[in-house]
Amino acid sequence: MKLFTTAVLLSLATLSAQAAPRTVDTARSDISFSVKQMGVAVDGRFKRFEAQVSFDAAKPETSSAALSVDIASIDAGSDEADSTAAERAWLDKAGFPKATFKSSSVRATGPGKYEAKGLLTIKGKPREITVPFRAADQASGATLLSGQFSIRRTDFGVGGGEWNEGDLVSNDVPVKFKLLLAPAK
Amino acid sequence: MSQSLPQRYGAVAQAGHWLTLLLVIGAFALGWIMSDMKMSPTRLKLFSYHKWIGVTIFGIAVLRLLWRQWAKAPPLPPTMPAWERIGAHLSHWGLYALLFAIPLSGWLMSSAKGFQTVYLGMFPIPDLVGRDRELGKLLQDVHELLTTILLFVVGLHATAALKHHFFNRDDVLTRMLPRWRKTGDAS
Repeated sequence: MKLFTTAVLLSLATLSAQAAPRTVDTARSDISFSVKQMGVAVDGRFKRFEAQVSFDAAKPETSSAALSVDIASIDAGSDEADSTAAERAWLDKAGFPKATFKSSSVRATGPGKYEAKGLLTIKGKPREITVPFRAADQASGATLLSGQFSIRRTDFGVGGGEWNEGDLVSNDVPVKFKLLLAPAK
Repeated sequence: MSQSLPQRYGAVAQAGHWLTLLLVIGAFALGWIMSDMKMSPTRLKLFSYHKWIGVTIFGIAVLRLLWRQWAKAPPLPPTMPAWERIGAHLSHWGLYALLFAIPLSGWLMSSAKGFQTVYLGMFPIPDLVGRDRELGKLLQDVHELLTTILLFVVGLHATAALKHHFFNRDDVLTRMLPRWRKTGDAS
């Protein structure tokens, strides 16, 4: 019985150590990126993604995020750019339909400023990344998390072979995101 | 008339004319090749070169029109019948209009398709229209249609010049050619 009580208490403690999950309003959230070719920035975004986010500004270390982005939902502005991005050399929609991010730790870096470390997986290749972000309380009680970071596409084998010759397509790809969290219950 | 009009096109006007021809041939060839290519780094390069040439053609057309205010075009031969004069003026102004309209439609089409035009890879030209797939397709059709019209008008223009040279035996063609062409005449 003692053991059971301890177990319950422990699990309660673990639960309370986790910030409450917040519903992500994906319709008003955004994940976008920009790829530069021949000096021309071509912007794109993913229209569909799932996000499980718990966030507590008072106890940021209890926050966590897990995102799964539907590669097929890419919108790079034109049918040609979309289909090119979905090809094997690029994001390989057929082989790897999802790109994911899972946070391992979150910490505050200043007033309203935070930093999440975690694993970003694109084309099945996981890489540790650091994502700085801001949190802003909205009048509605919602919270807007926004930030940007840069990845090197070749770290994930995105755009191989002839695409890496010369400096035609930039290796650095800035990624921006906005996640609107519904008011905490 | 106190001041007679020149009988020939000057060096600047000639340079503008022939440079435009070379650039139009280049842009047309690139456009033709790249539109049927599969996406590749080479294709992206051709797209950029095509756009840079288009911007250059547009810029030269502006300069040529400005220059024309300063250095008047030589008059058409007095023997030309009225319908030929009208035809000549219409095709000349039509050519200018197309040299403006085709790069403009290409620029707008690029913006609508989400590929901004960055001249020489260094100077971004602002997007006048936002990203819009339907508009992009429409402007592509417009760009291609105008280019087809240009092809016809250029053909007409060149045929008329050759007809003047070989049939009417006037100076309509030679006055747009450097003078070395005529050194044998000792005139």
